[in-house]
Amino acid sequence: MKLSSVVLLSVSILAQAAFAEPTGRVFVTNEKSDSVSVINGSTNKVEATIDIGERPRGIGISPDGSEVYVAISEENKIVAFDPQSLKIIREFDAGEDPEAFAVHPNGNIYISNEDDAKATVINPKSGEIIAEIHVGLEPEGVAISPDGKQVIVTSESTNMLHVIAVPEHNISANILVGARPRAATFTTDSKFAYATAEIGGEVLKVDMASGKIIAKTSLGDDKAKPKDVLVSKDGKTLYVAGGRMNQVMVLDANTLELLKGIPVGKRVWGLAMSKDGKRIYSSNGVSSDISVINTEKNEVIATIKVGKFPWGIVIDD
Amino acid sequence: MCSKCSPMISATVITMALLAGNSVAETTEINLSFIGDTNSLAYQGAQQGRDEANIQGRFMGQNYTLNASPEDSTAIVAAVDAESLRKLSASHPNKTIFNLTAEDDALRSECLANVVHIIPSKAMKRDAEAQWLQKNPDSSAKAQTWHPTFRKYAASQLNSRFSKTHSVKMDDTAWAGWAAVKILSDSVVRGQTSEAQTLLNFIKSDLAFDGQKGISLNVRNTGQLRQPLLLIENDKIAGEAPVRGVTKTSNLDSLGLASCPK
Repeated sequence: MKLSSVVLLSVSILAQAAFAEPTGRVFVTNEKSDSVSVINGSTNKVEATIDIGERPRGIGISPDGSEVYVAISEENKIVAFDPQSLKIIREFDAGEDPEAFAVHPNGNIYISNEDDAKATVINPKSGEIIAEIHVGLEPEGVAISPDGKQVIVTSESTNMLHVIAVPEHNISANILVGARPRAATFTTDSKFAYATAEIGGEVLKVDMASGKIIAKTSLGDDKAKPKDVLVSKDGKTLYVAGGRMNQVMVLDANTLELLKGIPVGKRVWGLAMSKDGKRIYSSNGVSSDISVINTEKNEVIATIKVGKFPWGIVIDD
Repeated sequence: MCSKCSPMISATVITMALLAGNSVAETTEINLSFIGDTNSLAYQGAQQGRDEANIQGRFMGQNYTLNASPEDSTAIVAAVDAESLRKLSASHPNKTIFNLTAEDDALRSECLANVVHIIPSKAMKRDAEAQWLQKNPDSSAKAQTWHPTFRKYAASQLNSRFSKTHSVKMDDTAWAGWAAVKILSDSVVRGQTSEAQTLLNFIKSDLAFDGQKGISLNVRNTGQLRQPLLLIENDKIAGEAPVRGVTKTSNLDSLGLASCPK
């Protein structure tokens, strides 16, 4: 065998090992059932339920699609499982009461530690803590820019978006927002970010180059607060989970004008979007179901019963 | 510092070399004055508020203290009786006096321009209890502003932060002390000022404060902080007021004197 074909062969084996074929499954953490529901993304049917640990909340997938991570809040750890075989691969320490996290394109996990006013960077392969960054009180939402250069951590009781530079892991900006910032997300080009402020009832748009808020709108009422937020792949449309409003709200991503409310289940909390941008899934805590939204029509095309208090969603596509 | 100087002087700008990662170069010193018993829960609450304000201050460029004299302070945090509050109000007309402990209804109807009552009035508590009784005629629940077992709206996080630091449970006056300092620091960063009179104006007209009670809080023209109350029976939380079903839960003005007598 010639040297070049040996190299080629090893490369193709490596590629196979590194990039698992997507299963097309949708994984949902059920906070009060201590489980993960495994949904077939084509049939919208639950095909398995994994007993995962006490109070699972945040969920994410490795960039190569080979591992799904779940924050087990009551057990202070993250569990990794195989999205294909659904077998637990390993678990590692995640600090006290782990909740929301995001997975960086380089594979590292960025997690907010609510009781310790810090964010922690963990290598999920080794469980090694790479960095700890002090942020404001009650850090909650974590968003990572698609280019991997910036991480936003929201601090709910300090009312700020902390922008963390990667790989330096220092804070490059602190942006004061409305009361109790909950979630953030970046546009595909990493130039803008959106965030929700729960008590302030606000949705806002930030220009990441200047660190300035360039648009802001009020949303919800005294009981219905904006929760999770997502932006469409083309950057034109914003989706906000409306909590007890029982709607996913559709906004013009530029003007933040409210275009439509999509009725979903009760107390809608978490959102996830497919890679092609054509579907959005919402976790509806009180009605214990998932709504599947077609983003071309902005309509619910399926409702899937899952465990109690579905919290986080990740798609292996 | 001199007592003849304008209140603005009390905010001294000090340039500090800060650790990498906290990207502010200048820190504004904001000195508050605490009047009252420093062995009280009200004081411990104010200390908690100061510590939390300083966490934000690390990022936004402020440092708060609680031990200025009333003359040299940006605002006064007072755990005193009604008569002492009136005197403080009269002798410091251009700065905020936070009332942490005096529940007297008369203080609200007097509409002292510079007093912000964090603690609810007796009338607010009476109204909360009356609403509760309409739905629960046999209940003996009493209204409180806070409770150490309060968990909703991230109240549990505040309760655990306080008890961890002070080895004691957060009560109504401790919450009031915490809220007073956080309202002040929130107004400093949102109003972008450390001038006493400007802060007072901001607090009275522009406040949108997260008191970890689930709804944005602001101030009536009487000086009273609008807020939901808890109904406590056998040292447990039985409900919240405004009472759902009796009125809208957002109808905070159903509790106590809603505005100044004409």
